[in-house]
Amino acid sequence: MDNRGRRRLWLVVAAMLFVVAAVLMFTGQGEEPAMETPKVEFPRRMRAPERERAERRRTHVLPVQVDAGTQERARPRDPLLAALPRGEGKTAVVIEANALRHSPIGELLLDCLMRDGGKRLQELRNLSGVDPLQDLDRLVITDEGMMLSGNFGNAKFKELLGERVSMDYGEGARVYEPGDMTVTRPDGSTARGRSEAAVATWNNELLVIGKSPDEVKAVVDRVEGRGPDEPPAISEGSTYGEMYGVLSVDQLARLLPKEQAELADRIRRVAQNVELHVDASGDVAMVAEVRGANGDEVTDLGKTLGAALSMARIKAQAEGEKDLAQLLDFARVQPDGTSFKLEMAVPLDVIKQRLAFCKEERSAAEAAER
Amino acid sequence: MKPVLGIAGYVLREAMSRKFILAFMVGITLVLTVVALSLRIEVVDGALAASRLFGEEIRSSIRSVDVALRPVYQAAAFLVFYGGILFGIVACSDFAPSLMSPGRIEHLLALPIQRWHLLAGTFLGVMVLALGGTLYGTTGLVLIFGVKAGYWTAGPLIAGLLACVGFAAVYAVMLTAATLVRSAALCAASGFVFLVGGIIAGYRQQMTPFFEEGFGREAFRAVTLVLPRLSALAVAAGDIAASTPLEVRSLGLLLLGVLVFGFGALAVGFWRFEGKDY
Repeated sequence: MDNRGRRRLWLVVAAMLFVVAAVLMFTGQGEEPAMETPKVEFPRRMRAPERERAERRRTHVLPVQVDAGTQERARPRDPLLAALPRGEGKTAVVIEANALRHSPIGELLLDCLMRDGGKRLQELRNLSGVDPLQDLDRLVITDEGMMLSGNFGNAKFKELLGERVSMDYGEGARVYEPGDMTVTRPDGSTARGRSEAAVATWNNELLVIGKSPDEVKAVVDRVEGRGPDEPPAISEGSTYGEMYGVLSVDQLARLLPKEQAELADRIRRVAQNVELHVDASGDVAMVAEVRGANGDEVTDLGKTLGAALSMARIKAQAEGEKDLAQLLDFARVQPDGTSFKLEMAVPLDVIKQRLAFCKEERSAAEAAER
Repeated sequence: MKPVLGIAGYVLREAMSRKFILAFMVGITLVLTVVALSLRIEVVDGALAASRLFGEEIRSSIRSVDVALRPVYQAAAFLVFYGGILFGIVACSDFAPSLMSPGRIEHLLALPIQRWHLLAGTFLGVMVLALGGTLYGTTGLVLIFGVKAGYWTAGPLIAGLLACVGFAAVYAVMLTAATLVRSAALCAASGFVFLVGGIIAGYRQQMTPFFEEGFGREAFRAVTLVLPRLSALAVAAGDIAASTPLEVRSLGLLLLGVLVFGFGALAVGFWRFEGKDY
């Protein structure tokens, strides 16, 4: 081949190679938009909407205190926060039922709740006069029992608890002692039962369920300003997230599986207080702040927890459990002197996949009803 | 093939005689030594519990060591990729022009080899040099973090190899530019222009909406369709180094595409070199 022919050949080869390269790169990179790396926002502090929410909830004004001739006007406060147990080492976890219901995870949970087409929910509405999806605002779990806040103006407490011994208490409360109760079913038949729980209602805003009348009366006392002077278990500044509160160290240790008995024992020895915040406005993200007296011991406990999470992640990876490994990717421990923050997250997509069956069953049940 | 290898060896000997390339190797060694001696990592059951750099504790959270080191590996991959290509452009820009300098080119052309052997040999020699430097730096990094953290990954090494493929495409353009103009500065400029073009080409999807619909947008799409997608390769290198899922649809095809582009550019150089009078 002469020089001219060879040069033409190189040019043809070059053109062909450029075309092939373009096709390969186009196919290799792909033209679809890049996948977003999952980003999780952890509840680390109070945000503006939560601050506004807390302000709106300051509705209860205590009666004017007359002291040595001076009148001091008390600041309005949130009755539910006032009702919380006082002092160190108590458990009080608040679930923002209304906020949770309107969150993406709430929608998924609602599908699961209404897998029967919503029959049981309707039954509950008819029986109690309370629509949990509309009237319930917050639910609190404490060592002593449970508290619900919301609009209970339409609640049929008298019909449900009418047979029990009851009395007016304080300024706006009614206390029902443990006793028999009769429930009228939708078909008109009645069912009798006995409940060992004492119940108190306060201003159609609060429903308190406790072990004894004295316990529920103590809650009403705290709401109406007759309780101890100690601050409530959860301060207003800590009311962020869709679930928040404080857990007693004992309760936290009990949540751990039996295989982690050593870790549970260490938590009991080292930690004094655990504050919990869960955000479900998008992905489900949890921040737990563990406090203790000895900084070194607390840091060591943090390292142990971090190592346990790391081992769990490695195990999940080795066993091909991609979802779990992905969840544990976000897990970390942030030491800070005599406390540390443990952060964990569950991406919403993972929960959607896991709860997809609820939506299918709900749709099927609703279709069958039609 | 033998003449090509011969020229490659000639280029390597030339490189070794240059002091700044040796200084670069010493520089890499120093950086690796400083990192190795000053970094202390405490790992508890696979979790990065504490790190100290120059004796100062780095305030960080306790988490899985591979997750905690992800940003470090990702940054190292980008540094190796772009830093390596940039250094390669500067360090290797005058190989081809000096090879084609008057007096020398006549001597080389008098040898019983074909003209394209000269260019192919130069290309091969430079690539061996780039590969050697990359392997040296990234292997050192892998060893340091492997020994310190107990977490062994070939990610940075693979990222370095991807950088070499990217540099192959850029250097092929530089070599071709040298056949057009015998200037080290223009040679480096052409490499730099293609590096920037390659970064833009990798983000063409995101950048296309910035152009008004019509000729401008179509011209942008046409030009960036052919350019080597270096930034896409760099992102893939970062993903591999950090052991995160790849964003590209097929890394193999992308890699092959960039390499084929380099061969295409080299073929243009052969075409030009075959017809040039010296």
